[in-house]
Amino acid sequence: MRGTTPTTRITTPVEREIHAERIVNAPRDRVWRAYAEPALVAQWWGRGNRLDIERHELERGGYWRYVEHSDHGVHGFEGRYREVTAPERFVRSFEWDGMPGHVAIEFVTLTDLGDGRTRISIVMQMHTPEERDGFLHSGMQEGLDAAFAALDRTLEP
Amino acid sequence: MVQYSADLDSAFAAVADPTRRGILERLGRADASITQLAHSFAMTLTGMKKHVAVLEGARLVTTRKEGRIRTCRIGPRRLAHEAAWIEKYQQLMDDRFNRLEALLERTRE
Repeated sequence: MRGTTPTTRITTPVEREIHAERIVNAPRDRVWRAYAEPALVAQWWGRGNRLDIERHELERGGYWRYVEHSDHGVHGFEGRYREVTAPERFVRSFEWDGMPGHVAIEFVTLTDLGDGRTRISIVMQMHTPEERDGFLHSGMQEGLDAAFAALDRTLEP
Repeated sequence: MVQYSADLDSAFAAVADPTRRGILERLGRADASITQLAHSFAMTLTGMKKHVAVLEGARLVTTRKEGRIRTCRIGPRRLAHEAAWIEKYQQLMDDRFNRLEALLERTRE
């Protein structure tokens, strides 16, 4: 079931939302655990950077706070759980320390594909395009210039 | 695979035409009137107005009329901006999910 290069499918069906979808080769219960158990979250959510799980109260109204330590600095993310339906879905508010008071809503849905694989679907909902852009800078400053340059090249006649 | 919103589609449609890419490149160097652009691209005024209207519709170009002269300038570059945003988000999520897959591999019973 490996074979193809795994990629995340990104879509922007409306201006203030961004959707990400990825199919992983593991049953849904195991994917849920990777989100539900703090010791497991710490191993992947930080993309290889050290991640401190300061709070992780996976229940309606519970608080979460992750702190990522990258070469570019320390980035804190936090919010509260709004809905938790194990093992298929949770909804939480999402704030980045760099933009205090700007709140996005994250919807995470796990779909059992029936063949041992699971589809992970993440929708980030922001209030304004400025917030959407701002969140992007939470840990990803590098490379933006390169992306612009690449696009500029495609615009050349 | 990256898909873009309808809003971005209009921007991509706008730059699919080589003349319009040329106009963007020209305006990237300096503002110009429709007349100047028509002259540079050896085109009728009517033809150039149509191209500029498409670029304006995609917000890649803005125009301002003073007297009888309509000046065109490069727009807020939403195309580059959005595409770069999406590319960066894709990279972030790929990095994160790749780590998740590695973890799922390790925790296999």
